[in-house]
Amino acid sequence: MNWSHVKLIFHREVRDQLRDRRTMFTICILPLLLYPLMGMVMMQVAQFHREQHVSIAVYGYENWPSDQPLMDEVVDRQQIRWKKIPAESELFAGLDPSQIKSPVDSAVSSDPTIANSQIDSLTAEKLLKQVEADVIVWVPKGYQESITANPIVVVSNQRWERSQLAIRLLADRLDEWHRNWVRTRLSSSEIGTSIVDPPRIEQIDLARPEMKRAIVWSKILPFVMLVWALTGAFYPAIDLCAGEKERGTLETLLCSPARRKEIVWGKLLTVMCFSICTAMLNLASMHTTASIVMSRFSNLGAIDMVSALGPLPLHSMGWLILLVIPISAMFSALALAVASLARSTKEGQYYLMPLLLIGMPLVMLPMIPGVLLSPGTSIVPVTGAVLMSRALMDGEYAHALLHLPTVTTVTILCCLLAVRWAIRQFESENVMFRDSERSSMSQWIRNVWRQREDIPTANESILCGLLILVCLFFGRLSLGGMPLSWASIVQSTFVIQLGMILAPALIMATVLTKSVRKAIRLHAPRPMDLLIVGCLAFCLHPTYAAFAQAVGNEYKLGDQTTSMLMQFDTILGTVPVWSVILVLAVLPAICEEFAFRGFLFAGLQRDNGQLRAILITAVLFGLSHGVLQQTITASIMGLLLGWISIRTGGVACTVLFHVLHNSISLLLATQSSRGTMPPAWLGWAMESNHGHLAYTSMWCTLSAGMAAILVAWLATRAPTVAISQPANSFPKNVTGVTSNS
Amino acid sequence: MDFVQVQNLCKSYPDAAMGEFKALDNISFVARAGEVFGLLGPNGAGKTTALRILATILQPTSGTVRVFNYDVTTQADFVRHSIGFVSNNTAIYDRMSAWELVEYFGRLYALPDDRLYPRMEKIFRKLQMEEFRDCPGVKMSTGMKQKVSIARALIHDPPVLIFDEASLGLDVMVARALQSIVMDLRDQGKCIIYSTHIMREVERLCDRVAIVYKGRILDTGTLADLSDRHEQTDFEELFFKLLSQGDEPRSPMDIRLDLERLNAANIAALKAVN
Repeated sequence: MNWSHVKLIFHREVRDQLRDRRTMFTICILPLLLYPLMGMVMMQVAQFHREQHVSIAVYGYENWPSDQPLMDEVVDRQQIRWKKIPAESELFAGLDPSQIKSPVDSAVSSDPTIANSQIDSLTAEKLLKQVEADVIVWVPKGYQESITANPIVVVSNQRWERSQLAIRLLADRLDEWHRNWVRTRLSSSEIGTSIVDPPRIEQIDLARPEMKRAIVWSKILPFVMLVWALTGAFYPAIDLCAGEKERGTLETLLCSPARRKEIVWGKLLTVMCFSICTAMLNLASMHTTASIVMSRFSNLGAIDMVSALGPLPLHSMGWLILLVIPISAMFSALALAVASLARSTKEGQYYLMPLLLIGMPLVMLPMIPGVLLSPGTSIVPVTGAVLMSRALMDGEYAHALLHLPTVTTVTILCCLLAVRWAIRQFESENVMFRDSERSSMSQWIRNVWRQREDIPTANESILCGLLILVCLFFGRLSLGGMPLSWASIVQSTFVIQLGMILAPALIMATVLTKSVRKAIRLHAPRPMDLLIVGCLAFCLHPTYAAFAQAVGNEYKLGDQTTSMLMQFDTILGTVPVWSVILVLAVLPAICEEFAFRGFLFAGLQRDNGQLRAILITAVLFGLSHGVLQQTITASIMGLLLGWISIRTGGVACTVLFHVLHNSISLLLATQSSRGTMPPAWLGWAMESNHGHLAYTSMWCTLSAGMAAILVAWLATRAPTVAISQPANSFPKNVTGVTSNS
Repeated sequence: MDFVQVQNLCKSYPDAAMGEFKALDNISFVARAGEVFGLLGPNGAGKTTALRILATILQPTSGTVRVFNYDVTTQADFVRHSIGFVSNNTAIYDRMSAWELVEYFGRLYALPDDRLYPRMEKIFRKLQMEEFRDCPGVKMSTGMKQKVSIARALIHDPPVLIFDEASLGLDVMVARALQSIVMDLRDQGKCIIYSTHIMREVERLCDRVAIVYKGRILDTGTLADLSDRHEQTDFEELFFKLLSQGDEPRSPMDIRLDLERLNAANIAALKAVN
């Protein structure tokens, strides 16, 4: 890699972007103008809001206890405009308020008999409009005698925001009135008024106000930062890739001495530079404006808001600024990869939303109350970085330092993966030089059929994976209501495994490829491979169990899930072992392997995409397990299975591994619920621990070592030249004129 | 000396409509120092694909291509240093002046300042670009842009120059100027590959031509050779006749015979020049 090329390209691109007025406006001018303007609008709206009054109509006020009036004057100090409806009002003549009922949610129940007996809610709504009130209050006859005998009927329409506000204000008012009423009654008796006083609290808060502010900001700002880092990265990225393709300048650069890798790095640095600038400018502008606006509010008496959103301490600002770098780096690389995929700037714009949707959950996660920096959260990209910056702002340096290696590694790894993707895009002729599609839909379908190969394409594989996930989502939802019994477990396992995992893969393999066997990578394995993989399944299980345990400790299962799993194990304990193994170990192993290490893997490992195949199938395999904890452990297991399947050339060995692994897990789980002890001859490996079967620590250590040896053995064995070999998208040696002769 | 050697070059694209599209079907030719080798063919014949492979922008599906004795697949870096590529698709940057653009590419070619600037002055003077040297690309006319592209391709003084439909959209004056530049470069001993679909240009410029149609070379040789072989003095007629023949369905036997004849012609031409 020639860094002087990277530097030259970087300098040129930055200069080019700086000369582009549109980019400069979005990136530099807009943030400086946006927040002051937004602040101005907010001030206006706040004023408007304060001046708003709600009107409450009261019918039958003459029945109100006269010694304790509800309304002081016509316009209340609490924004309430009272409206007394005279008793002789024609509108209310003959209306019985008890006949007015809230309409029933038609989505929940639709019983026509209820509606008929009531006064139509439309009539009541018309009444509200006629008296020009947001809420009507009916005071029943004889209310002054007993305020508890009959309820006051309050008719509102919660569809209107003013009506919502009116109800709130009315409730407060009635509450206050009631307290005073009680006080008056008590003061005239012997008990005295002190009895109704609530216990007094003197609150001492140890948090410094500016630190509390920092935490509030640290929840809001990462989100703002994400949006702007992505926007700041996205527009230059589109201009630098799709835009250059459109203008024809990319080819000029491609035939220059700069290599594709160098071009990508040069462009990436440019995009990152603008992304960071945009995010920083936005941060600064938003922070300054908010501080100024808040200080205005403090003059107006809104102390709470000022203490929550006032200016940040300088060092907290520093940590936030530091956070910009990993977020920008990650999204710049992603934006560049996505932008290089686009043929034109117009096509590029379409990709912004999906990218934003990927990024959103990652910044939303730290906003959930109670999510803190921990080994579990630190491995989530972006989330880990956000949580770490919060820990740093909070002054917990030791804690942050502890997770620094994980967060940094994850961030760098993600960036490198995205960069690798971008470079691959630049090296791919299909992506760089593809024209807009000329053919019609029917022609395309005919062609897909005619051009079928032995194995699916990468796109078909990814589509299959997504199809499986969607099927699983709806399948699990519809099967969710079933009672937990062995019959229902068998039924749902069959439906899910055969119908939602195996069927999409098999159908796609039949329709889209010439050879189903090759498409699902079914092959005759070498006996030695089977032996090694079989032993590996046994030796790796203790380590895997320990890992699953650790994951379970880190990400606690909900109480409901835990109790369901317990029930599950109990049910399994009551049925024959062979049927449990058959239904829950063999069937899922075959279906999942045929789908994930078979059809999905076959398409994804084309064109030297082994790493891509391992990563994507592992993630999809993980996601196909419904529970988060299982998703994590299954993803890791997916990585291993993917690697095994590359080393052994197909799915046979991974099916074996999967069957054995599932069987051992099931046996361990059900044996403990059956209450049986481990057989004496297994004493060296198993022990009973509080009624649960567990591995002895000796066997745990020993097995890990053996597993390592087996993995090394498998890694050094000559690879099988089987279906695993990636086929090129089109044959290397095109049969030309000469081969005819 | 053969600066460009193309042997059995094939290039296929996956294509949505036709499954696999053969853009180049087994083409072979050589181009030498001090000659203008013309690739003549209608639009979509595969000229651009062939030249993009020469410029290492695309990878060949099969066959070997050597430029200045470097292989385009294994020694792409060296190849890129030995060529100047001017194409209809190699546009110039809108927000960069002529001077800045040429300077930028000069630096990418790692020319030291003391070589870069004198060379830039020389090229700008020679191509009469001095009056618009600080004009941004967006404000230039097509002719100006083409001159900047040529200056960009010449800055590192490459032995091989590739012009792909370079005269497209140029007015007579600029097209003439381009032709004189090309002839000048040939006289300096450069090897020039010149693709076009305009007959007149071929007649004026090219020492030898290959007629390309539907990814195949229909015939190759000097203009005199071609008119002798096809008994046609009007070159446009000759071209049209060849293309019509290329459209007719042919048996594998015919194709083979054609190919043998073509190879024989190639060898003869080579011998004649050497």
